[in-house]
Amino acid sequence: MCPFFCNEFGAKMQDSVVLMKVDDFLNWGRKNSLWPMTFGLACCAIEMMATGAAKYDLERFGCGAFMATPRRADLMIVAGTVTLKMAPRIKTLFEQMPEPKYVISMGSCANKGGPYWQHGYHVLKGVDEIVPVDVYVPGCPPRPEALIEGLMTLQKKIANERLLKNKWVKHA
Amino acid sequence: MLNSIDKRVVELLNANLPEAKAVLKEVTVGHGSVTVSAEKILEVCQFLKQHEELKLRTLQVITGTDYPTVSEIEITYVLCSLEKNHELLLKVRVPRSKDVSDLNALPKVPSVVSVYAAANFQERECYDMLGVNFTGHPDLRRILCAEGWEGHPLRKDYVPAEKYLDMVINPAHKVNTEDHFFGKKLKEQMDNPKLVSWSWKDDSETTEESAGE
Repeated sequence: MCPFFCNEFGAKMQDSVVLMKVDDFLNWGRKNSLWPMTFGLACCAIEMMATGAAKYDLERFGCGAFMATPRRADLMIVAGTVTLKMAPRIKTLFEQMPEPKYVISMGSCANKGGPYWQHGYHVLKGVDEIVPVDVYVPGCPPRPEALIEGLMTLQKKIANERLLKNKWVKHA
Repeated sequence: MLNSIDKRVVELLNANLPEAKAVLKEVTVGHGSVTVSAEKILEVCQFLKQHEELKLRTLQVITGTDYPTVSEIEITYVLCSLEKNHELLLKVRVPRSKDVSDLNALPKVPSVVSVYAAANFQERECYDMLGVNFTGHPDLRRILCAEGWEGHPLRKDYVPAEKYLDMVINPAHKVNTEDHFFGKKLKEQMDNPKLVSWSWKDDSETTEESAGE
């Protein structure tokens, strides 16, 4: 223990000061205020809406503020079948999002083409062909609990990131 | 149950529009239909919409079927009358062309948009999926497939493209080709193959064999 805290003043300060890394502090803020983009492609979007609504309440995880524009969002939940017509649009939307940005691939179609895997002439076999995916949520469609677990997995991933260290501390 | 008006429609059409060559098709199961010649479909629709007894004022759907064995495309118009509570399946058949590269090469059917405004999107879909040129359509372009798409997917001889805008449609590492014969393998493993239900074409032969055993 540092000598600064080993006196009467230090004992008082211990109750009101939190010592942590700046990275951890930023990650704590980022992971608990993920703003997803209002963006649904198919039936998985219905489950995503159910997850956001009162019963499952995505807001408990700080993820309920569905943004109507990619410029203000940091999470893209690809909920549904990615058709070839839609794929370039998804890529554009992803590129419009500010860094740092995350993608959850929700449901079998977005993961790997889903039921369109053999005869799907118009379906992209997985959204990871065009954008980098952080978390895959399996299911057809996934239950709201599954999406919440995917979100919590992403939050753990964000909590372990070291943005400042990677950006400013060279050869660390 | 909607009232069947097929016979009455054929009578009226043959009396008033003999050049439409209306033919009745009766079935024991399902719905009967009336087939008319493709060149006169616009006049037929006009007549059916305005006739006091029929009042077929609603177009529900336009759909099509490809019959490569007889080299024809059949287009079905589902008309109904909400006032009279009856429904009519109106069909036309046009010779199908193998060459789909050009709009002029496609089979031609007069557009009925001037009679039924609802036909606009329906005809666009039919053009997109089956490659039928609806002459006189105000805005005939693809509605479901992407811009610059080649081919018409609901044709039986349609071959899926390999690439679309640098995106590989069926990447080998993503498509598990072994699973294409999942049902076949399952039947071989099961003690009683009849318990495995599988309806894909690759396995239909196996079904017959195992049924004979």
